[in-house]
Amino acid sequence: MLLSFGNIIDITVNEKILALHQKINTTPFPGFIESVPAYTSLAVFYDTVLIRQSYSNTSSAFDFVKDFIINISKEKSTISGNIEKDIITIPVYYNGEDLEYVASVHQLTIEEVINLHTGTTYHVYMTGFFPGFAYMGTVNEKIVTPRKDKPRLNVAAGSVGIAGEQTGIYPFDSPGGWQIIGTTPLKIFDKAKHNPCLLKAGHKVQFTMIDKNDFEKLNEH
Amino acid sequence: MSIKIIKPGILATIQDLGRTKFRSLGIGPGGVMDFFAASVANYIAGNSEDVPVIEMHFPAAEILFEEDTIISICGADFDARIYDLPVEMYKPVIIQKNMALSFKANFSGARVYLAIHGGMQAEKWLNSYSTNLKVNAGGHNGMPLHKEDIIEIQPQTQEVNNKYFFIEPSSISSVYNNPHSIRCVEGPEWEMLSEDGKQHFSKNEFTITSQSDRMGYRLAGKNISLKNSLSLVSSPVSFGTVQLLPNEQLIVLMADHQTTGGYPRIANVITADLPKLAQLPINTKLKFELVSLQEAEDALITMQHSLAAIKTTCKKLYGIN
Repeated sequence: MLLSFGNIIDITVNEKILALHQKINTTPFPGFIESVPAYTSLAVFYDTVLIRQSYSNTSSAFDFVKDFIINISKEKSTISGNIEKDIITIPVYYNGEDLEYVASVHQLTIEEVINLHTGTTYHVYMTGFFPGFAYMGTVNEKIVTPRKDKPRLNVAAGSVGIAGEQTGIYPFDSPGGWQIIGTTPLKIFDKAKHNPCLLKAGHKVQFTMIDKNDFEKLNEH
Repeated sequence: MSIKIIKPGILATIQDLGRTKFRSLGIGPGGVMDFFAASVANYIAGNSEDVPVIEMHFPAAEILFEEDTIISICGADFDARIYDLPVEMYKPVIIQKNMALSFKANFSGARVYLAIHGGMQAEKWLNSYSTNLKVNAGGHNGMPLHKEDIIEIQPQTQEVNNKYFFIEPSSISSVYNNPHSIRCVEGPEWEMLSEDGKQHFSKNEFTITSQSDRMGYRLAGKNISLKNSLSLVSSPVSFGTVQLLPNEQLIVLMADHQTTGGYPRIANVITADLPKLAQLPINTKLKFELVSLQEAEDALITMQHSLAAIKTTCKKLYGIN
């Protein structure tokens, strides 16, 4: 089931979705499997067979889930103080291949681009596409830059990029079209960890500039 | 006690019914492409449905069994043999000590499942034994099976008399009936299609191109247009989601799909038809049949009844309550 709230990147809408996501996970209905928040939508995965068996007067599991969600969304629930409100600091060595391009296209110096990128606290709207890939926003309008016309065949894990109003970090080596402005020594996805993903929807993220020496000291890759 | 991979075939992986509760971290559920065949294979081998199995494509693996082992083979018919002797599918089979199982011909279907009584040793990652090839976790060291790989299995303490073993054939064949007609419901972005687009989707045949795999089936066919060009923010998708790409062609997301996407989701294949879809080989055609959500649910309930009946029959065979 998909709940949809439009087609925009808006923190108020997203926080409503995250609140609903948390609520359903804390007090689920029997047959609830999991929910997946995105920018403006929430997908709810459920076990149709279990719901139809558990509630014999329901002829449609979908209707049952729909009613449940409508009811809980009327209850007052907010993102309560927990891990999702933490500010995560991400050190970045700003030497990305597209840093000069981003600077020149906005008629800024590289230093100004770095200050603008580190000067905002970003909201994590969702993780998706890859394990641990966090979609963060919104980037200062002075450095908003669209994706590259021709994606690179390989972007290294740890690369920090900009795509439109979004900023993000590649958890794996992969092809990619984001404008790469730097790289972080942190491993944002680690399969060996109990919590393999560093960033989750609802987190706040601050980038800080480090130099090459510090990068090498901190390098987890 | 173990089995040994003599030849790995084109892609053999250990899978179970998938990894739930981690989609919101971008970790997709993965798992078997055909949950019906995999579940039945497990039941026939005296296992519960969620035990890890080996999923194979054609050319398929050749596997050596160190000791007498109870197995079952379900899904695609790849002409299973022990040397020259045919091995019956959808039946408990005892492979004798030092015999090798191989698959000689691609008769029908696209994925075959080997279930072994007692299951097999595999890496558990985030509550599932399914192999995640992106992350290299789960299954057999997070990798496809290779030549010389050894997989530990349970000592076979059970005896099974398969002489009178019987499953109603229609309980299997009904799942794969009308193999080229794939039922789906309208997707969240269905209304963004032009009238022509809707017609083309419903009335035309599409070919499963060679760029199709466990992540998705790229289809080729008549162009499907939107009312207006649009750019969507990323949102969740699932196994069976039919996306419309900017080149007006379709892709159907399969078991190893990514968790979110930015392309219009115009339809979603119904869960009950995912096994059928999973068994369509490359270069075959399919047609989409739009159904209501109610029909989709009812089809799944019916399939589940079949599975439950098969499970009961198998439990009796193994003397399990």
